[in-house]
Amino acid sequence: MTQTTDMRPSVPMDADIIIVGCGPAGMTAAIELAEANCSVIVLDMQPTPGGQIFRNLEDNISQKSSDKQKLLAALGPAYRAGADLIRRFRASSRIDYRPLTTVWEVRPDGTVGWLRGVDAGYLRATTVILAHGAMERPVPFPGWTLPGVMTAGAVQTLLKAGNLKPTGNVVLVGTGPLLLLLATQLHKLGVKPTLIARTDRFSDGLRAMRHLRRNGLLPVIKGLGWLAQLKRAGVRMVSGLSDIAAEGEQKVEAVSFTAKGLRVRQACDLLVVHDGIVPAIDIPNGAGLALQWDQANASWRPRTTPDGLASSTLPPDLQPERCAVRITGDARRIGGAEAAIAHGQLTAQAILAELGKGSGISSKSQQAVDRTLSVRPFLDTAFPPGLSATLPDDNTIVCRCEELTAGALREKIRTGFSNMDALRGETRCGMGPCQGRNCMITAARLIEEAHGACVPTPPVFRGRPPIRPLPLGALAGLNGLDPSATELLTLEDKPEHDVEATSDVPAE
Amino acid sequence: MSRQSETALIIGAGLQGCSIALFLARAGWNVTLLDKNVAGRHASSVNAGGLRMLMRDWREYPLSQRAMEHWEHLDRLVGEKAASACEVRLGVSQIGLALDDAEMSWAVGRAEDMKKRGLGEEELLSREDVRALLPGVSDTALGGLISRRDGHANPAAATRAFREAAVAAGARIVENCRVLGLERVRGGGWRAETSFGQHEGGVLINCGGAWGARVAVMAGQTLPLKTVAPSMMVTARTQPFLTPVVIGIDRPLSFKQSAVGSLVIGGGILGKPCPDQDTSFTVMDRMPQSAAATLEAFPALAHVPVLRTWTGLEGATPDGIPVIGPGQDTPDLWHVFGFCGHGFQLSPAVGEAVAKSLVSGTLEATLAPFDCGRFASRVAA
Repeated sequence: MTQTTDMRPSVPMDADIIIVGCGPAGMTAAIELAEANCSVIVLDMQPTPGGQIFRNLEDNISQKSSDKQKLLAALGPAYRAGADLIRRFRASSRIDYRPLTTVWEVRPDGTVGWLRGVDAGYLRATTVILAHGAMERPVPFPGWTLPGVMTAGAVQTLLKAGNLKPTGNVVLVGTGPLLLLLATQLHKLGVKPTLIARTDRFSDGLRAMRHLRRNGLLPVIKGLGWLAQLKRAGVRMVSGLSDIAAEGEQKVEAVSFTAKGLRVRQACDLLVVHDGIVPAIDIPNGAGLALQWDQANASWRPRTTPDGLASSTLPPDLQPERCAVRITGDARRIGGAEAAIAHGQLTAQAILAELGKGSGISSKSQQAVDRTLSVRPFLDTAFPPGLSATLPDDNTIVCRCEELTAGALREKIRTGFSNMDALRGETRCGMGPCQGRNCMITAARLIEEAHGACVPTPPVFRGRPPIRPLPLGALAGLNGLDPSATELLTLEDKPEHDVEATSDVPAE
Repeated sequence: MSRQSETALIIGAGLQGCSIALFLARAGWNVTLLDKNVAGRHASSVNAGGLRMLMRDWREYPLSQRAMEHWEHLDRLVGEKAASACEVRLGVSQIGLALDDAEMSWAVGRAEDMKKRGLGEEELLSREDVRALLPGVSDTALGGLISRRDGHANPAAATRAFREAAVAAGARIVENCRVLGLERVRGGGWRAETSFGQHEGGVLINCGGAWGARVAVMAGQTLPLKTVAPSMMVTARTQPFLTPVVIGIDRPLSFKQSAVGSLVIGGGILGKPCPDQDTSFTVMDRMPQSAAATLEAFPALAHVPVLRTWTGLEGATPDGIPVIGPGQDTPDLWHVFGFCGHGFQLSPAVGEAVAKSLVSGTLEATLAPFDCGRFASRVAA
């Protein structure tokens, strides 16, 4: 029964590179690496390649029904633009693509825990690329858990995956390009939003002007186009709102907010909310990778080198010789599809250089990354977080898995549970199926509210595997285990009771 | 000769330290607890909360029986309000499940042995008994052992309750205070050099838990202790179906359903301890054995998802029971650590017996098996 101190994989590698996520960044990196004769495994939760942005694109494009054509027209050229990338991804024989696969653990040494259906196991590679993307900024406000309140991303998912359109009175509230894009798409599909209520103000747009760069003009022009379309269509739009609340008994019936000093109430059947997107940090946090606070985007993001190399914060005993994890795309830094493609390529080039292949990062790739990210300062200033700008009142639910209100958390923080893990242990905040993905930022801000800002980075919950639910049956049959790591180590506390064996032990 | 107004310096404000502090302070002693983190930060608060006499080492049994009396009347120790927050559930019973012949024959032997020793709280269960008591149990279950008085409590709340009761009785707790060195004070007693000033006490009590052996070294004493990181898994909520706690005999299994319906699965599977960093890590590679043992006992649970895991740091001695008593030739230095993952239930009786021994100057009989000297003599032999 010796303690294994060397946690490095001692079993054969499954591939040169494992990529988590099959969106624009993951596909681009996979193609680039496979072309250079690397073996690549791509793990992705979805049934087909594309990520959030190109979700279900292959299917939507292959069907000629008028419904699908209408959907494609509404989703616009930016959606169809992914078709070529997906085709190239599919065409590469060196890419071992594994759809419908959830990742529940990543280690800095290059080990990845996966789950597909009832099967689970570990895979190992020299390098792991995290290209798992972004999530929508969590926005707890009164009534946000009512049926009929959805995020903009969820509405888009239903459009792309199922061609499901909302009906009735649709109100969109929040901020950010995605909100305006979705409103335009809905309008093209014949669903005219009743109201678009924005938290950003005209003055935000003005302040953002100084961040305009020549390279970043195109997205801005595109955005202005959406606004013009919505205006032409006569969609009512207000801006600078605050204090949003969803009202209703069994489901949302109305939304109310304050705009220009007046309380407004608008009946609705569907309330679509969006407050911008942030890097999904559950995998990096669970892996013990360093995080940093991105003030401009008001979010955590993994701390990486410009070419995506992450750094491990694990204790020396668990620290691998080299950190095998790189992070790219929106998972590293919000930038959208084009930026993800550019950085995915750059990351692949950096890995190839490390393997002694290729000629390193090309200036073209570097320029593409710079160009595609150049609009971000403008967008961050023009669309500051709004729905989440102020912390929720005491009655608002923060942790929806465990149904905990801000008031309940504030009371515990006041009585001494002022670090994240103590608060979690006491209240169960963050212990549910989402493992804190939705409540972590609010819990951290509530602690900061009581005790002052925790600079430079707000505190996070300690991440432990599994970061996604893992059925007992799949766990019991876990494959790809490293025999040196699985040596049965248990607390041997079965008492000896055999009288003969213990008779020589002096009794009291 | 009884000592009515001495000073005690306790290193480690976990459950054992706070329990000793409570009894000593009530006996009129002046008690200071030092903790390198915050009181109860480690094993005390993050253990599984088992109140178990079942399958306990017979050497611990008398102490365990006494502890059960305290848990049954916890309000008398910590007050009514704090006691109710501890969610003490006794009488739900703990069951040792035999899933093969070897385990069943061990259970039969154990039942006979305990009867012979006059420690009769465990009953043998037949195949039919376990079926009646455990809905959904595997057809292969052959029977087992039951301790009907057993149950569980909320460890974090219990640790808090003992801490607050100790403070109310006059004990002083200094947190974020790491002991850097220990030296004898001329004329008797000990001085601790810490990250937070100097502290002195007539009697020094080492309740250092996973770090107990390190504290002992500072006082010039060597005791064998391994730092381990027992780990647990928690599943999504399921329909309530199980009241008793189920533990394995040879299998790494410990299994109960929480009040909210989630299954809490332990069994002593160890993670990676990092005592220098005050933390530990789950090693998922070892969890399949725990999951497999759970499914062997309850096959219908295969679809239930594990949502999270946790680990904590604990100290384990070579013979599976703690050290409780004065160090060799140091009547004014006591070691109380190395509970091997089953000290939670014992804590009220440990506090009482240690305090009684110190106040009376005579070692309580229940503490005799835990003498530190047992390791020294083994080395000598």
